Amino acid sequence: MKKKQDKGDFMNNILKTMRVMRICLFLSVISTSLVFSASTYSQSTKLTLNLNDVTVKEVIQTIEDQSEFIFFYQDQQIDLTRRVSIRANDKNIEEVLNKLFEGTKNIYAISDRQVVVGLSRRQAEEALASLKRITGPLENLELQQKSISGSVTDSNGLPLPGVSVIVKGTSIGTVTGADGKFLLFIPVTAEILQFSFVGMYTQEVVIEGQTTFSIVMEEETIGLDEVVAIGYGTMRRSSVTGAISRVENITLDQVPISSVGKSLQGRLAGVHISNPNNSPGQPAHIIIRGRGSISAGNDPLVVVDGFAGGSLEQLSMHDIESIEVLKDAAAAAIYGSRGSGGVIIVTTRKGKTGAPQLNFNAYAGYSIPFMYDDWAGPDEWIYWQTKNMNRWFANDGYDPSIPIFGDPRRPLAYQVNPALAEGPWSNWAEKITRLAPMQNYNLSARGGTDNVQYYVSGTYNHEEGSLLTEYYKSYTFRANIDVKVRENIKLAALLNPSFYDRREAGHSMHDLYRHPPFVSSEQNPDGSWPQGRDYWAYSTMSSASPLDRLYNTEYFRNGFSNLGELSLSYEPIKGLILKSSVSTNISFAQQDNWSGVQKLTFDGSAVDSRGINLLNENILTYHKTLKDVHEFNGLLGASYQKSTSRSNQVVAIRNSFANDIIHTVNNAQAHATSSSSSKSLWGLVSYFGRINYGYKEKYLLSASYRTDGSSRFGKDNKWGVFPALAGAWRISEEGFWQLSAINELRLRASYGVTGNMSIGNFAALGNMGTFYYTPDDVLTAGMVQTSFENRDLSWETTHSYDYGILLGLLDNRLLLNFDYYIKKTTNLLYTVSVPTITGFSSALDNIGEIENKGFEIELTTKNLTGKFTWNTSFNMARNKNQVIDLGGIPERIATNEMIYWLLRPGEPMFSYYGYKIVGIFMNSGDLEKYPKLSVNKVGDPIFQDTNKDGEITPDDRVVLGNYHPDYTMGMVNDFTWKRFDLNITMQASLGGEIQHMIQHYQMGRDNGGIRLSVVKNQFWSEDDPGDGKTPSLCRTRYQIYNYSDWYLANASFLAIRNINLGYTLPIFISQKVGINNLRIYTSITNPLVITSKEFDGVNPEGMSRYDPDSAYPGIDRGSVPLTTNISLGVNVTF
Amino acid sequence: MFKNIFFFSLIFTALVFTGCHEELLFPEPPSNITTANFYKTAKDIDMGVIAIYGRLQYRKARVQSMENSDLTFMELPGDNMYKGTWARHYEHVDEWNCLPTSTGMDYMWTQSYSGIFYANSVLENIDNPVNYVAGEKEKYLGEAKFMRALFYFDLVRLYGGVPRIDKTVSIADSRKVGRAPEADIYNLIVEDLKAAVDNLPAQNTPGRASKGAAVALLAKVYVYLKDWSNAKIYFEKLFSEFNFELLPDVTNILKTEDNKELIFVVKYVDGTYGQFLSKEGLPYQGIFKVLKDGGNWCPSWDLLKRFDPEDTRKEAAITEMWKSYATKEADEPIWNPWINKWFVPERMNVATTVGCELDIPVLRLGDMILLYAETLYELNQTGPALVQLNRIRERAFNGSTHNYSDSDIPNKEAWLEKLHLERRFELCFEGERWFDLVRSGLYLNLHEYETYNDGQGVILKRKLDPKPWKKYFPIPQSEIDQYDPGVLVQNEGYD
Repeated sequence: MKKKQDKGDFMNNILKTMRVMRICLFLSVISTSLVFSASTYSQSTKLTLNLNDVTVKEVIQTIEDQSEFIFFYQDQQIDLTRRVSIRANDKNIEEVLNKLFEGTKNIYAISDRQVVVGLSRRQAEEALASLKRITGPLENLELQQKSISGSVTDSNGLPLPGVSVIVKGTSIGTVTGADGKFLLFIPVTAEILQFSFVGMYTQEVVIEGQTTFSIVMEEETIGLDEVVAIGYGTMRRSSVTGAISRVENITLDQVPISSVGKSLQGRLAGVHISNPNNSPGQPAHIIIRGRGSISAGNDPLVVVDGFAGGSLEQLSMHDIESIEVLKDAAAAAIYGSRGSGGVIIVTTRKGKTGAPQLNFNAYAGYSIPFMYDDWAGPDEWIYWQTKNMNRWFANDGYDPSIPIFGDPRRPLAYQVNPALAEGPWSNWAEKITRLAPMQNYNLSARGGTDNVQYYVSGTYNHEEGSLLTEYYKSYTFRANIDVKVRENIKLAALLNPSFYDRREAGHSMHDLYRHPPFVSSEQNPDGSWPQGRDYWAYSTMSSASPLDRLYNTEYFRNGFSNLGELSLSYEPIKGLILKSSVSTNISFAQQDNWSGVQKLTFDGSAVDSRGINLLNENILTYHKTLKDVHEFNGLLGASYQKSTSRSNQVVAIRNSFANDIIHTVNNAQAHATSSSSSKSLWGLVSYFGRINYGYKEKYLLSASYRTDGSSRFGKDNKWGVFPALAGAWRISEEGFWQLSAINELRLRASYGVTGNMSIGNFAALGNMGTFYYTPDDVLTAGMVQTSFENRDLSWETTHSYDYGILLGLLDNRLLLNFDYYIKKTTNLLYTVSVPTITGFSSALDNIGEIENKGFEIELTTKNLTGKFTWNTSFNMARNKNQVIDLGGIPERIATNEMIYWLLRPGEPMFSYYGYKIVGIFMNSGDLEKYPKLSVNKVGDPIFQDTNKDGEITPDDRVVLGNYHPDYTMGMVNDFTWKRFDLNITMQASLGGEIQHMIQHYQMGRDNGGIRLSVVKNQFWSEDDPGDGKTPSLCRTRYQIYNYSDWYLANASFLAIRNINLGYTLPIFISQKVGINNLRIYTSITNPLVITSKEFDGVNPEGMSRYDPDSAYPGIDRGSVPLTTNISLGVNVTF
Repeated sequence: MFKNIFFFSLIFTALVFTGCHEELLFPEPPSNITTANFYKTAKDIDMGVIAIYGRLQYRKARVQSMENSDLTFMELPGDNMYKGTWARHYEHVDEWNCLPTSTGMDYMWTQSYSGIFYANSVLENIDNPVNYVAGEKEKYLGEAKFMRALFYFDLVRLYGGVPRIDKTVSIADSRKVGRAPEADIYNLIVEDLKAAVDNLPAQNTPGRASKGAAVALLAKVYVYLKDWSNAKIYFEKLFSEFNFELLPDVTNILKTEDNKELIFVVKYVDGTYGQFLSKEGLPYQGIFKVLKDGGNWCPSWDLLKRFDPEDTRKEAAITEMWKSYATKEADEPIWNPWINKWFVPERMNVATTVGCELDIPVLRLGDMILLYAETLYELNQTGPALVQLNRIRERAFNGSTHNYSDSDIPNKEAWLEKLHLERRFELCFEGERWFDLVRSGLYLNLHEYETYNDGQGVILKRKLDPKPWKKYFPIPQSEIDQYDPGVLVQNEGYD
């Protein structure tokens, strides 16, 4: 068992450390200049210098290099850049310094090896007085004490301020200054020095007569002492009772992806982060512990610096200190009616007491899209398209032996003109994508005094899309200021303005891919683009060139948002803090759309929307420790939130543009019924409380309660109640615990209730909407009811149970966290399909129950320490989703005309549903032998006759799979060797299915491009039956494959999401150019993505057309390809 | 200490109670009209009525590419029109291979019931307003009932008996409403139309139903019910009490708006509230100088070859020679018949994606006269029946040269053949053919009809497999799935 001081001592030490910290910071940072009676070292040491026209800083450095002297000063009090010439031959330090500071206001003082430089005598005296309090009476100083000094850096060589340096077993100590240096007077009898810092491994050093120390602190990747955000407060990791995952931003901001969410892929257990749309600026999709809601959304609540309802995408990763995810209800219940999807708490970087630190980070690189490599060339295309047409011709009852071209017996639509192979040839997939450059710059400064601390930062990001014309630019700023007004009054202000500018292609990939390859991609001299019909009269329906479409579709999006917050905390009694805050999240978004494809159909619109989210929170916290063993943390709060939004849009009447020079709607006529202005709002009133109790850090209990009133719910059901209870037992703290290998063993259990209020603002009302008619050719507004009134409509309720074990082995070198959970979501806000005789196809109700259960494993290990370090953090989650009840209804089926999605008790939510293919009708005999659809022909798939009634009817539909992954995994490996560091992040997903319809468009449909792997195994005729497993996917017969499992594929994958390799320059080199720290790095995203064999797409998580969280999930009709992003970067600290 | 506590309590209390619950929890919706504050005035009821027409306007032909439109279900299955190679989907309708899950099977069902819901909402709230001017309430009542009857008439002809919904219904109840017998639906239609006749004004805004429209529809409904004597009563009422007239020039009936022959039309305007019907009968490669693309619904050779060369209706319906949009001025047109009936170049917008303003008739006098002729014949008034039939022929041939005489019609079989041929010529592409085939039983003999190759003049055959049960479309599976098990029964042959 790890040795620990008992509780009382521990707290005392903390309090002492706190005090010491403040005094010593005062000592070493605010002031300097001490006078001690001369000590022997300074008098006995002689210096020899011959420096010509160098800076003061260089002189000091030279002295430090030549001797054991160590200088303490504050940068702004000395002009370090002043140039001097100093010649000294065997002089003592005082003589050198007199010369150095001649004519300046600086006053220096020397004590043994320490040289302090400041501005006034008073500072020196105050410092001296402080020093006495730490180290005892001055008169004993020389007799009993000796002075030691040194510097502390982190593993990157950066000076570490605020590290506490304590003589082990005593209360004698200090903390390091802004430059990481310290000076301490210790008893001569002192044996061991202890260096400790939050988030770093504590180091012990034997003194043994040494007087200077150079300490490198190592980051504690798996620490129980770290502080964790828990919602309306923080807590030591060791006292946490809920299921909380945490990721700290160490090099996350160097991953060349502008989306905060996407850069977190693979790092958090049970937090499934997917990338359904790889266009730049598109957000990641985050699901925590499975989907519990059918219609009301499963997005987690994002809390940014305490503001509930922020967004990850308005942040710059550079500004993020850490991200916590509250996964179980015990942790999330304090967020009540918005906690069901889990809570993501973002803590941004705050100011730190100390000299200003300027940090500059930049990277630039390219993204390379994933592409198919088997497109048919001209001759191959003619060959396969001829087969295609003949098969189709035969299927329609004609004689395919009629020549393929030029015979009047064969309709033109069934012909293939072999001359097409002679013309230009375009690989459209390549023509519409590109190697896309990206760049990202961040500049930040951080520092402060005891009373005011600041962090200011600005980020510029620019990414071009790998799909032509797309781009994303963002400008993000942040200022976090903390002011200590009085000892017990603190003020904090933060601002986070950000602006983005984006262009979207406006066309889905499948529409672009499918263009005829025999069409040139060269623009005509008159500005138009060649079309299929220029080459072949019977060409495709989608006749505009993909380039024409991309270039002549201008979808611009831009938006501004600012999250601002001002909070005041007041501590009237020790431990009792009242914090009141007012925050606003203001956002403006604009869409400017124009399209004039083929100079034929001109459309344009402008949409302006704004949202203002106002929040007032008043929180009272109390912390008290009784008799050194009972620790109480209490919280009471009230929160009032109101969100208003307004949207204006003006739409041009199609083709009313006066010309195509000006693309704004002022150059056209506004469309009367599409142009509109509307407002909406919601309100939320909440009261909440929480109490945490710990007994000797052994028994931990936490209970919370929240009640939410929401404007969104029916008038008979306004208020919801969300309680939670959690407990933990640290067995390893018990006296009987003897297993020294296991230094931490903790059991946790929790239960809690959370809610989901994500429905429309006035969805509970029977809303009316306009519906137009044109009597007498006059556009006239009519009114119809558009939704049912539901006075009882309320939040979804999620009951969660969580059981966890935390195991720490070998002094926490191995830390294993295991959680098992059951999440039952009842009263689903479910848009139920209803018979259309009601006048509606769907209605919102609280109906049914969904269950998610599963487990999560987080394993963090320090595999190697020493010169070569290797840390691994592995996570794995299993989630099983199941519909339990649909309000007594046996099943519900949704469809988009390609597949059915089934909701049926016992099956995962929105399971794919339809006909199972069991074979192919290889010949007319098969057509007689097997049950079939009346439309079936040879080459069609044989559907399973599930109920064996000899016919294929809707009753034969079966569950074909689902889009929920069974297992999600992530692994982060960190290596360091000398000054190199390497980070490899991997992500895997197992067991989900995806409906990848894209092949549909890659087999020559509408004379479009053909991929050889898609056509080569197909059934072509009885004599040419392909591999016997691939049906005849003839043009007119696509529909037959819809609703079957033909396009379903296993979406499992293993991806290396990011590799980040860095090299930190040695300090002695970087400091020569005035840089404290310089790291150069290269980062590569998605260098390797392994998918299942049957998956034939460019992103196993890709979704097109549909919002991945909608009722029609899992469809990939050609998503934007994943990219490998390769970048080079530099991170500089001044 | 006490001072502190006092101070703190003061702040906390102040903060807690500043929040205004009412404002946050019960906000007035700033931009939503709700059922709580609507249907209060005469204007509200008027808006409710407008929406019912809007639904029919949408259903008929407001969806681009005809993927969903009245003609897809009322004309395409017949032998006048077929799906060209490039027309999207619906070969299952064209070839009589529909499955309950086939594309678009729910379209007419959901659109019509939506219209019925709008009508029911109006009828349930019609007594609320107190500010009607004289006759206004009756007008709205008549319009709502007329429209409800029209929607049910289409439903019952497409599907047979359907759920009978004459007031708004809750979700829970709706899942238990099965199909009413066909006769019950017809009873509701007749009842509604009688009320419409009683309440509608003789004149109404163009595009809204008038008394004449209700009389005409009721007469037509009686024909479908084979209640010939009642049909006769209402036809004669229509002819005697209202001023509808046959237009002398048959080519002008559909291509001019608001003419005397039109009894009830759906109005369209250029743009979003325009129709796509006019464009869909054009070849896929468009029309020279007019339109870049067409929908490729084609006129059958079977129809085209039967037209007498002197029949002016042929030119009004089908153009045989064609030049595509992409051709040059000097290029010769080629033989490739296309549907000209709705084609008015000056009302077209070159972009295929913009609707056309041409109105679509629902009831017109030409149809009424042929139905009247049929009615008279069934009532054994063969002479007067022939007179009515010849009125239509005289107009088509600009004179009596092609009139039928008694000797042309030796028996009822010959009469029916002549009558329905005449209906084909007169009403082709107007959504009557499929229903005529079904109610006459002729569909059972329709094993094939002739089409032709795009642009090459080769005649092809479209094979069909007639079965008695194919007179109805399948009940959409997506709808059956929403009912309690076994409640909504599938039509015979599709189950």
